[in-house]
Amino acid sequence: MTTAHDTSLRTRIVEEFARVAREHGKTLAPLTDDLALLDSGLDSLCLAIIVARLEDRLGVDPFSAADDADFPVTLADFVRLYEDAA
Amino acid sequence: MIVTGGSRGLGLVLVQRLADAGYRAVAIARKETNPLLSAIDDAAGAIEFVPFDLGDIAGIPALVQRLRKSFGPIHGLVNNAAVQFHGALALMPSAQIEQLVRLNTLSPIVLTKYVVRAMMADGGGRIVNVASIIGTTGYSGLAAYGATKASMIGFTRSLAREVGPMGVTVNAVAPGFMATDMTDALGDDQRRQIERRSALRRLPTIEDVAETVLFLLGDAATSITGTVVTVDAGNTA
Repeated sequence: MTTAHDTSLRTRIVEEFARVAREHGKTLAPLTDDLALLDSGLDSLCLAIIVARLEDRLGVDPFSAADDADFPVTLADFVRLYEDAA
Repeated sequence: MIVTGGSRGLGLVLVQRLADAGYRAVAIARKETNPLLSAIDDAAGAIEFVPFDLGDIAGIPALVQRLRKSFGPIHGLVNNAAVQFHGALALMPSAQIEQLVRLNTLSPIVLTKYVVRAMMADGGGRIVNVASIIGTTGYSGLAAYGATKASMIGFTRSLAREVGPMGVTVNAVAPGFMATDMTDALGDDQRRQIERRSALRRLPTIEDVAETVLFLLGDAATSITGTVVTVDAGNTA
């Protein structure tokens, strides 16, 4: 079930993807839930910047909290990690 | 500017020099020392102290979050904190070997992980790792320590390539033996022998090394990354 809170979280994450793509001159693929992050047009450094910015904005870093977290494959997986950590 | 191990030795001189040069310096160490307290008094707000046990790897993410909240964007990180245990490897307790790797290798790598991504998000930054000539040359009794210092040189070179495109420079400084608490363990004979074998017939001072770190953190070093600057009075020349 998607709540209003979850929707806004997804929106903030998508905004951050767009901002980092803009700053680093990358072309962003349409951000659908099943988009693989590796196909998003952003490289791993850009994804690291997104994680750092989201930590500033949301106060959480789900990747530090979990010991064995594999990096998420799709955008939906990525958003879910933040929803679970919120 | 963050300096680990900023309460004594090279780290303490470095935070003082950074404050003199107009930077805001944050010293991270387990405990305050009297010389650090008087440096803080003299610096009128330019030196801050944040107590933290750098062996607490799990606490590092929260430390970096706290540093950013308290002091804003991090321009520079100096991974200076280290321990040195001197003795034959064959007799060294495994717990000491583990502590060497934890404090000299694991801790700076994890700290850098969290600091560098904040630097990338902020558009750039400077990282200086304090290695040692023992990372590239041999000294009996320092095998495990030498391994940790060599690791910082490998770390420096690869990370420089990785984060260069994001405006972050990563360099190492490799001091020779200096007169610090760390080398007090050396006897006078060993010290004289090191001096005799150095091109300049003396040891480098802590100030010599601090100035080199300061240079790498400053505007003059914009185009320097992925390198190791040796400050050893010609000991390995």
